[in-house]
Amino acid sequence: MEEFTKFVRGGILGPIKKWGTKWSLWPVHLVTACCGAELAHAFACGYDGERIGALNYGIARQTNLIIVEGAITRKMARVLRITWEQMPDPKFVIVMGACGLNGGIFWNGYNLVKPSEVVPVEFFIPGCPPTPEALLRGIRQLQIKLDKGVAENSVSFSEVKAEKGKKPRILPRGVKKVSLAPCIVIAREKEVEWELGKNLCEKLKVLGRAVITARNRIALKVDPDKLRSSAMKLRDLGFDHVKSVNVVDAPNEGKFIVEYWISSYSVKELMPVLINLHSEISRREPKISSLSDIFPSADYLEREMQDLFGVEFVGNPWKGRFLLAPDAPEAPLRKDFKLQEEVYVGD
Amino acid sequence: MKEFHLDIPVEPPKELESLFLPIPREYVEDTYRKDEFLVLVGPQHPGSGHMRLIVRVKGDIIQEVIPDPGYVHRCVEKIAENRLYIQNIPLVERPSIMDSANFNLGYVRAIEAAMDIEVPERAKFIRTILAELCRIGTHLYDAAILAVFIGHTTGFMYPFGIRELICESLVRMTGARFTSSFIVPGGVRRDVDEKTLRWVYDATFAIEKRLKSFERIFIKNPTVIARLRDVGVLSKEEAIKFGVVGPFLRASGVEYDTRVVEPYEAYEELTWDIVTADEGDGYARFMVRVNEVSQSLSIIRQCITSMPDGSYISEQIGEVRGNFFDKFADIVLPAGEYTTLTEAARGTLLFTIVSDGESNVPYRMRIVSPGWLYLRGFMEALKGERLADLQAIYGSFGYFPPEADR
Repeated sequence: MEEFTKFVRGGILGPIKKWGTKWSLWPVHLVTACCGAELAHAFACGYDGERIGALNYGIARQTNLIIVEGAITRKMARVLRITWEQMPDPKFVIVMGACGLNGGIFWNGYNLVKPSEVVPVEFFIPGCPPTPEALLRGIRQLQIKLDKGVAENSVSFSEVKAEKGKKPRILPRGVKKVSLAPCIVIAREKEVEWELGKNLCEKLKVLGRAVITARNRIALKVDPDKLRSSAMKLRDLGFDHVKSVNVVDAPNEGKFIVEYWISSYSVKELMPVLINLHSEISRREPKISSLSDIFPSADYLEREMQDLFGVEFVGNPWKGRFLLAPDAPEAPLRKDFKLQEEVYVGD
Repeated sequence: MKEFHLDIPVEPPKELESLFLPIPREYVEDTYRKDEFLVLVGPQHPGSGHMRLIVRVKGDIIQEVIPDPGYVHRCVEKIAENRLYIQNIPLVERPSIMDSANFNLGYVRAIEAAMDIEVPERAKFIRTILAELCRIGTHLYDAAILAVFIGHTTGFMYPFGIRELICESLVRMTGARFTSSFIVPGGVRRDVDEKTLRWVYDATFAIEKRLKSFERIFIKNPTVIARLRDVGVLSKEEAIKFGVVGPFLRASGVEYDTRVVEPYEAYEELTWDIVTADEGDGYARFMVRVNEVSQSLSIIRQCITSMPDGSYISEQIGEVRGNFFDKFADIVLPAGEYTTLTEAARGTLLFTIVSDGESNVPYRMRIVSPGWLYLRGFMEALKGERLADLQAIYGSFGYFPPEADR
């Protein structure tokens, strides 16, 4: 077999094979992130990538090029490797976008992996997102590499000499000021003219502390053990779905604030009203009863919060990771999980 | 048909162990004991963005679907807590790149609500045009992906040809094809001149003309109708129960549109209709979006013809060109929680910003994107359908994992 491979590559058929590979670079369909929108443009009728012999194909076994489109997450990195291993020889990788280069806008995220650490990369195309022209240029560059045998930059920049003693007109004041002892107030009362809201607040007073925080927004604070009964009461009032489940971490007060944003589709006058049903739980024992059987729309949102904050929703049947990869850090959205800090050049 | 039970011991295949299934082992064994199969759809599939569906089938009828999202989870919420308010504008656009103006708008409106900034009329109209251009672009993108899913390559080429006009309009107005970051607290970055607006106005007619031929080729194509009609039906009660949003909710007969329920920007001053349908099947979901495109075109034309004069940015902010960072770097929101609802192309988008009143970074930012909200409804719509219809239902929801996972 090895002899045969050697013959095909280097024998009299070598140049023909090289020529064939050059004009039939088939990228596998691996749209890893948002740059995929520009990739689709590059192969649609506006730019027509097919004229240089490249066209996306669904099955990895019959392709020889991966175009990594942007950020690779921990979960996706494994898939990228498996797809790369499935492809027949010769195979190439082009990485598109700033995220694939060095993280780009998501450089200090907890869930990102550099593609160059997962698979060997031939070419990088910078940009956020790169234009279709840039992508086609990358494919062209790979073809030239197949011809000549060495990879080359497609652009070269002339050297700019730094001038000494010259400062920009206004120095960017990009200094982050983060409060050391933040005080979190969820329900700050605001005076608004809103008749329906005042009536609703009167009705909800029996459940807990209800205040109007803005027009169409009501914050209702209840005890954790009354959360379920309050949700049932709200359901009886005509509220029928959950728009968001949110957890706010307040480490110096030793608590989590769990919020359910509840609204209505079926009652017309309640449609614009958003009720923030929230309750505070201890940070040491983060457990709260789940509302997923009262409002099925809260199910996936609760699972997500379970992943990101490590808050257990008692009653939600799902156990284990949902959104995060098995090797991602525990409860990354808690305040004590720190990301790498940026350095401001202006300081 | 009568079922015969054969008592043959079946063991789940060994390969399933190396696939990192997020479900317990007992579930897999139980499935195989009951003469059913687990089919793993994805993560590498011909759609846009990646996710895995763990489909439990009996014969080829889908019994249950467990989603395995997170392949494009790029930790936007955590990173946002570490950047200045103004630096987060490009960040929040990235989850849904073709719908960037709507995401941008939702975030900026939360800041404006906190700081009580009045936006001038002209800026509101420009923002509305951008939001509607992105809405048309997203609907066309989803139509193209639907075409890929059901194996109709021409149906992929046409919407992307039309999308070039949308991209060109965005380039002329903002300078970027996708991620323009054009909307800033208080207004927009620059004024848009009369000539550009004229070009966008003419482009809407070109789009309408090309949509007619797309209609002949794809929308009214009997094979497309056969693939989508009566497939993945969500009744009105189910859609409400599972919290489906946007055009997919309206396709099930609920008249809910954030632009009407809680009007923002210029939507109150314009005349347009909420598009609804009653069937709740795949074709209704597709048709609602097709009809929304023509509504959006009409909104853009109205905006351009009645574009008011005046400033493009609020007086509270002042001139931003040249001293952009100086104006915005030190924004500190008053303590409290601010939530805005925006009608993004795929449905309701919720932004919550919690501020502690001292830091110039958000204390907590929560994005709930439409894709994440209708994921549950999408899973329910798959139940009881045939496995071959999975792609058609996936396409009819226009599910875009980068948007859902954020």
